[in-house]
Amino acid sequence: MRKPLSAFAVHAILGLYTLLALFPIVLVVMNSFKARRAIFNTPLHPPSPANFDPVGYARVFGDSSLAFYYLNSITVTAGAIILTLLFGAMAAWALTEYKFRWNTLLALFLSIGIMVPIRLGSVAIIQLVAELNLINTLTALILVYTAQNLPLAIFILSEFIAQIPKDLREAARCDGLSEYNIFFHVILPLIRPAMATVAVFTMIPVWNDLWFPLLLAPAGGRQTITLGVQQFLGQYITDWNAVLAALSTAIVPVLLLYVIFSRQLIRGLTSGAVK
Amino acid sequence: MAEVVIGKLSKSFGAVEVLKDIDLAVEDGSFVVLVGPSGCGKSTLLRSIAGLEPVTGGSISIGGREVNGLAPAQRGIAMVFQSYALYPHMDVAANMGFGLKFAGAPKAEIAARVQEAARILQLEPLLKRRPRELSGGQRQRVAIGRAIVRKPQVFLFDEPLSNLDAALRVNTRVEIARLHKMLAATIVYVTHDQVEAMTLADKIVVMNHGRIEQQGKPLDLYYRPANLFVAGFIGSPAMNFLKGEAVAGGVGLGADGLISLPLPPGTAPGAHVTLGIRPEHMRIAAGEGGLRLPATVDLVERLGETGFVHLRLASGAVAIAEIRGETGLKTGDRTHVALDPARLHLFGADGRRLG
Amino acid sequence: MPQGAYLRLLLFFLGPAVLVYTLFSIYPLLATILNSFYSRQSDGSHLWAGLGNFHTLLLDPTWSGPFWNALKNNVIFFLIHMSVQNPIGLLLAALLSLPRLRFRATYRTLIFMPTMLSVVVIGFVWQLILSPLWGIARMFLNFFGLGFLFAPWLGVESSALITVSLISVWQFVGIPMILIYTALLAIPDELIDAATVDGLNQFQAFMWVKLPLIWPTIGLVSILTFVNNFNAFDLIYAMKGALAGPNFSTDIMGTLFYRTFFGNQLQLGNPAMGSAIATMMLIIILIGVMAYLFLVQRRIQRYSF
Repeated sequence: MRKPLSAFAVHAILGLYTLLALFPIVLVVMNSFKARRAIFNTPLHPPSPANFDPVGYARVFGDSSLAFYYLNSITVTAGAIILTLLFGAMAAWALTEYKFRWNTLLALFLSIGIMVPIRLGSVAIIQLVAELNLINTLTALILVYTAQNLPLAIFILSEFIAQIPKDLREAARCDGLSEYNIFFHVILPLIRPAMATVAVFTMIPVWNDLWFPLLLAPAGGRQTITLGVQQFLGQYITDWNAVLAALSTAIVPVLLLYVIFSRQLIRGLTSGAVK
Repeated sequence: MAEVVIGKLSKSFGAVEVLKDIDLAVEDGSFVVLVGPSGCGKSTLLRSIAGLEPVTGGSISIGGREVNGLAPAQRGIAMVFQSYALYPHMDVAANMGFGLKFAGAPKAEIAARVQEAARILQLEPLLKRRPRELSGGQRQRVAIGRAIVRKPQVFLFDEPLSNLDAALRVNTRVEIARLHKMLAATIVYVTHDQVEAMTLADKIVVMNHGRIEQQGKPLDLYYRPANLFVAGFIGSPAMNFLKGEAVAGGVGLGADGLISLPLPPGTAPGAHVTLGIRPEHMRIAAGEGGLRLPATVDLVERLGETGFVHLRLASGAVAIAEIRGETGLKTGDRTHVALDPARLHLFGADGRRLG
Repeated sequence: MPQGAYLRLLLFFLGPAVLVYTLFSIYPLLATILNSFYSRQSDGSHLWAGLGNFHTLLLDPTWSGPFWNALKNNVIFFLIHMSVQNPIGLLLAALLSLPRLRFRATYRTLIFMPTMLSVVVIGFVWQLILSPLWGIARMFLNFFGLGFLFAPWLGVESSALITVSLISVWQFVGIPMILIYTALLAIPDELIDAATVDGLNQFQAFMWVKLPLIWPTIGLVSILTFVNNFNAFDLIYAMKGALAGPNFSTDIMGTLFYRTFFGNQLQLGNPAMGSAIATMMLIIILIGVMAYLFLVQRRIQRYSF
């Protein structure tokens, strides 16, 4: 920065926007610890011993199903990530390494899903899931999210696998590894960074999605936390303590994870999406 | 160790022939260097021996056993790659023992063989390091160590020194020569550097356009190159070529005059020929007569004890002559250059050696 | 490798991905398109209807009114993102990529934060903030002496769509910011040094050197915005419910599709018409992507450094 004035202007703009980005979140989390009267009378005051009241949290955790919803979300997200990474890496390896007749066509076929949102097939997905007897199961969600995320995963992982020096795969062949062992013992360990990128990519939209949980597993204790919070909020709409506490329980764990992993996450988002 | 015999080997990508009718015998325990410009097919030939490239026709046998249909690991070969191809996620010991592990060798044996190879290459202190913690020269030694651990019948080296700096390259070259003697190994080695070829090889195979141009002992190739390509490829700086035509009693060089030398029988007068002479066989000399040609000095490169003079002859042709010791030559000087008649090479219009 | 072993190898590596993807992505898309050509009889049987569903959707007043309304709203939704979200994203990225900026990582991390959160959560948070009951928004306007401007924006037909769109912009501005920021970082410093030597100031260097080099990224951001906007649903559903009130003023294609397929207080679910709407969305998105690929992307010069 040449002039201190322009440096000041830059920090002023960035600082103000940062406040704008954070304010609503901070406001909600802050007020979730306060008594109803304080929420309304002094909404901008931080929680203090004088206005502290955890009644909202008591209500949220009293509704024991929210803990299960968290578990459901973790299961669905983890399941979808694992399947996406495994199947995606295997397919990316085959498409990159083996030159067979339908190679290019298959790669094109698999890339349709990058641009066409799978949501538009929801009518048929519901029918399919019903026929497979998977309504209100987490399995249905895991499979749908895997299908949704595979195209981008294959795309990113293919680029990465193509960058692994050819010599390395040939050294492995000289070392007597079968093609399966080359994949599992040489390639898979080497593409871990790319898999982390894909995991980040997969994780956030799956965790936050409302559409498919609403369509495929809306009840029977199979709700994900996003849907669970949505339903909880609808039910307690007038109970401000409960609403603020429910929002905070949905916000805080995600943001904690985000702050811990923000470096990897932003690197992941950028490396994958730019290509 | 074993011999490698290659017969009528050919390979093509569609209409492009990258290897044409290759016949080559690598004797047991010998060091054969494949050399040639990039794209000549030397690496393809090496990779065909390894089994990494499918071939279109011909046969490869190692130790008397035809290996055409076999996977690389079943051929009894070990390969040292140009980029070393060390597995970045394993330490040095694991890299060296990786092949044995998948061949199902007992742990104790793997450890013993890794230890033995590490001792030979002085890698013992590095066994627990990852490849990225090693210098280029150390990685190179690990790549060689990985080959040694496999106790192969044939070692294959694919331009192993090209990623090293000049000083390290000389050291490693000496090291490879030492290993060859110590292990009595059969080695096929690819390089584009003719100094490596000359210093390491028992036999040099010069390749060009997918064909073997000549194979033989290094000095045979140096003293009796079979054709213009080999003559120009072996030796540094390259052999000087002067175009002329056969006349009675010698070769006419146009404005440069006549070089008298006995023409081989069957050379038709008027035939286009090329006269070849190495820089080290030309002397800067004043005076007239004999095999002397007038020349103008274009540039003098002094390397110390020796040096090279770039000359322009009367015909406009350029030549390089080696000089030794102090000379007062400078750019623009007019002088004469004397050719050693015993060291002249004569090539026909088709590029083949005459006589 | 023997033919059989090679086939087994390909099947092993490609089989699972192709199976899951085909079954849960390609097949449903094709089936939805096919469904849109059938109508459902009252006895539950399906009858070939040709383009009948589309005819109804586009021309029958009971269907075409909501359809054109949703499409119009969706276009507005998209235009607000293009004209507010992406320029702000560009500005933030340009500032963040300035050399020797302090707290760079902190700004980047914090501004990206809302993008991480679920749309449902964001929708509720803003609903509370804008609620006249809580009065936070009014309090702020009062502070600047602008209290008279306050209105329950989300509840008023004329402002609900714009408000919802701006909330979505607020949440997702991090995405264009990060994408453009990365593209800017990829531009070698020497290029900017050269521009400085050529006498350009920082603003000129941005306009004449950096901006031309990041057009491909801006194009990518635009098409991503388009696809995401015409596929949006969560935020409207979370804030306004399936009826997208008030009086359908926030109804977009996603909510119309959901309501049509599942039904609601006002109508029964209709899978055939739902499929027809999904097919229309597919067509709109494909037109957008094709237009981008063939008209825009071809004219954008790409550079590698």
